[in-house]
Amino acid sequence: MDVGQRLTDQNFPESPEKATLEGKNKFLGFWLFLGGETVLFATLFGTYLGLRNSFGKGPEASEIFQLPIVFIATMILLTSSLTSVYAVLALKENRVKAMRGWFFVTLLLGVAFLGLEIYEFVHYVHEGHTFTSGAFGSAFYTLVGFHGGHVLFGVLWIAALLVRNSGRGLTLYNSPKYYLFALYWHFVDVVWVFIFTVVYLMGKVG
Amino acid sequence: MASHEETKSVHHHTSLQKKIKLKQERRQHNVSFVMMILLTIVAFAAIASDAVSNQVAILFILVLAAVQVFFQLYVWMHLGHKGHEFPMWGIASGLLIAVITVGTLMGLIW
Amino acid sequence: MSNAHAANKSVLWDWLTTVDHKKIGILYLISGGFFFLVGGLEALLIRIQLMGPEMTFLTGDLYNQVLTMHGTTMIFLAAMPIIFAFMNAVVPLQIGARDVAFPFLNSLGFWLFFFGGVLLNLSWFLGGAPDAGWTAYAPLSTQSSGHGVDFYVLGLQISGAGTLMGGINFLVTIINMRAPGMTFMRMPLFTWTAFVTSGLILFAFPALTIGFFLLMFDRIFEANFFDANMGGNAIIWEHIFWIFGHPEVYILILPAFGIISEVVATFAKKRLFGYSAMVFATVLIGFLGFMVWAHHMFTVGLGPVANSIFAVATMAIAIPTGVKIFNWIFTMWGGRNRFTTANLFSVGFIPTFVMGGVTGVMLAAAPADYQYHDSYFVVAHFHYVIVGGLILGLFSGLYYWYPRMFGVMLNETLGKWNFWTFFIGFHLTFFPQHFLGLMGMPRRYFTYPEEFQLGSLNFISTIGAIGMTVGTIIFVINIIVTHAKGEKVSGDPWDGRTLEWAMPNPTPHYNFLQTPLVRGLDALWIEKMAGNKGMTPAEPIGDIHMPNNSILPFVMSLGFFIAGLGFIYINTAGLPALIAVIGGIGIGLVCMFLRSWIDDHGYHIHKEDLLKENKGVDA
Repeated sequence: MDVGQRLTDQNFPESPEKATLEGKNKFLGFWLFLGGETVLFATLFGTYLGLRNSFGKGPEASEIFQLPIVFIATMILLTSSLTSVYAVLALKENRVKAMRGWFFVTLLLGVAFLGLEIYEFVHYVHEGHTFTSGAFGSAFYTLVGFHGGHVLFGVLWIAALLVRNSGRGLTLYNSPKYYLFALYWHFVDVVWVFIFTVVYLMGKVG
Repeated sequence: MASHEETKSVHHHTSLQKKIKLKQERRQHNVSFVMMILLTIVAFAAIASDAVSNQVAILFILVLAAVQVFFQLYVWMHLGHKGHEFPMWGIASGLLIAVITVGTLMGLIW
Repeated sequence: MSNAHAANKSVLWDWLTTVDHKKIGILYLISGGFFFLVGGLEALLIRIQLMGPEMTFLTGDLYNQVLTMHGTTMIFLAAMPIIFAFMNAVVPLQIGARDVAFPFLNSLGFWLFFFGGVLLNLSWFLGGAPDAGWTAYAPLSTQSSGHGVDFYVLGLQISGAGTLMGGINFLVTIINMRAPGMTFMRMPLFTWTAFVTSGLILFAFPALTIGFFLLMFDRIFEANFFDANMGGNAIIWEHIFWIFGHPEVYILILPAFGIISEVVATFAKKRLFGYSAMVFATVLIGFLGFMVWAHHMFTVGLGPVANSIFAVATMAIAIPTGVKIFNWIFTMWGGRNRFTTANLFSVGFIPTFVMGGVTGVMLAAAPADYQYHDSYFVVAHFHYVIVGGLILGLFSGLYYWYPRMFGVMLNETLGKWNFWTFFIGFHLTFFPQHFLGLMGMPRRYFTYPEEFQLGSLNFISTIGAIGMTVGTIIFVINIIVTHAKGEKVSGDPWDGRTLEWAMPNPTPHYNFLQTPLVRGLDALWIEKMAGNKGMTPAEPIGDIHMPNNSILPFVMSLGFFIAGLGFIYINTAGLPALIAVIGGIGIGLVCMFLRSWIDDHGYHIHKEDLLKENKGVDA
């Protein structure tokens, strides 16, 4: 079968994302990439933890962190993780409309998260907590910013996928792409779980 | 003709099985979502309230975070499913190096 | 999508757009070879400066630059790409695959490495090279004036991204694309070492990526990671660098172990002794390689407990390495050894590497290391393992696989001259350095006074370096002579044991006409012993799916190269630099977007064409 051909309910494979060798390769390669990303973020977390009490000329973490915003951001990202799971379930059942809908909700939630993060950063900068105000500031913005950059990349990624495949059904060629995005999005959420725990909550109690 | 009917019914049967499986999965996903929301609320509450000492609270929320990661990886990303042996190795090795790295950068500097 | 690679495109275009692992292997080899010559020239400059006491051949400042660039070039721009050259040229063939898992990423990985290397070396012409040593310890690196260290950070960041892609690519290739019957425990040892090395790359390079970002932020955007005045901590850099840096040492040496294992077995006409022990040792070295990085930091002040743990872990690596040494010797034992140039390099490797290993165990003893640290003893040690180990291994691999890569065989007489001059020159260069270190000569100093009496050993060392230079020149001559003659050899000139020798010469661009069926370790040898003419096919002849060529990897890498230049000058050149940053990243993102947007299903070589090409083959 041609990989670019639209799948029907009759010939729909159990796991369309892994039905071709290319799909299998992407699936495994992406998981391994996430293993590498784990080390990447671990290095950032380690650096942050090493420097988290070195405030330099900036304010202390417990003075500036605003838990309500962080809580809302966490809820948004958790929910977006759920919606991308729903999208993958729809993908497995060849319900294209539902899948695209859930991915679109994911995208919107991602944008909302980014908006909150930008608002938060602006607020901190006004409080004197900046990238150059001390080692803590550098480590904070680098760690949280790297995560935010990942969210931004994910938003652009799913937007491109949705636009490119609008009006097209699922094929053996685009199924792995959708699936990989969902994996990526969960991973970004996993990282955030540690950010709100290690950076914000631990920062609040010192 | 008969064999055609048979394959059709087999196909019908497998697709029914698949539907049941996906339904179960959906329930698991929903349960894990509720759990994660709860865990998050508990973590925030533990820090916000003064009932627990800070040291205990930090340890507690780190455990909660680990549980959440388990939900994400195993339920939402299907890491425990068949065909995930090598992804499992990848993530496990990554986590091992990650733990060593974080531990070092936290503890072996001065 | 039929034959997209029309023959009317130019040769240059073909090389710029190729996604064929065999061609990418050659690209890696040529660029890595070029940087090897550059790094060698820098080494020669260092040795001339140190030839006698109080020489003024190089100024101290220039010496620092040459020294830094020698180490950086040799590790990142010579050794790594030559290893990738072999992995590309050999691994897919050894496992019976038609290509790597991600041909596009493969090409992207190469071009990122290439442009990263060019960016780093541009520093010579743009105001001075990096001068903080290849380890770029903060705060020396954060305070180094000029743009040298910026070139170091950006150049290596770009080429490091390429390396990471290569690592993932080979992991997936080896896991997913083995031919039927090629179980993990039937894989040739070079493939095994490529596998473990790729795993190390996957988990070591991300740490370096972050390290470079932190250093870049400190230098360019006034962050405070390593600035103690603002609460930063320079030891974080040392940890991050060595969490990457020590696995990197094993990333380098494991493929050499793989090469030696192939060459020794082939030329002894024996199965590799203790194959499963070799595999186990490889994996164990890979694992332990991650657990020992702090032995580079014994004198930093980690304290006796940490030092002891890391000392013991380091010494433990000697065990699996010893297993390997013995297995090579036992492989040769009772074999019908043929001492071709490839085998000479392999056999020369064994005692040399043992010497490097012994000094490694000496250095692993933390209390003793307080004496050795940062002396020429360390310089001697790591050159024994990297030149005496890795480079001898790479030469061995080159002589061994040259017929597979280029269809011609390097001249054996010149090869033997190459070996003996290089080998003797090597020992002459580095053996005296052990004693220079014990006599108290510190590494990285640009000169020494006469009354320290370091002159004569340094002089011998420089003579040795000239010997290595002669060896390298002979090697270059050998390549020229060989290609000028252009005598084609058969597809199996060494009477090989493994699958890469099961193809005609030149290798068809789809590798195997029919995917082979693997029936055991040393797959080709098994068929030979069974009296078969070639491999038993695992499939009938059919259409072969091939990936399309693409210029996007080249353009994308060029984009990041431009962005890198922009970042380097962002504080001094203002608007043009900003435009370069935005434009460069824009080019990169647009290429990524295009890659995602344009459906690329590859093309098929049809059965009829294959049959026409391979007349006389039974369908």
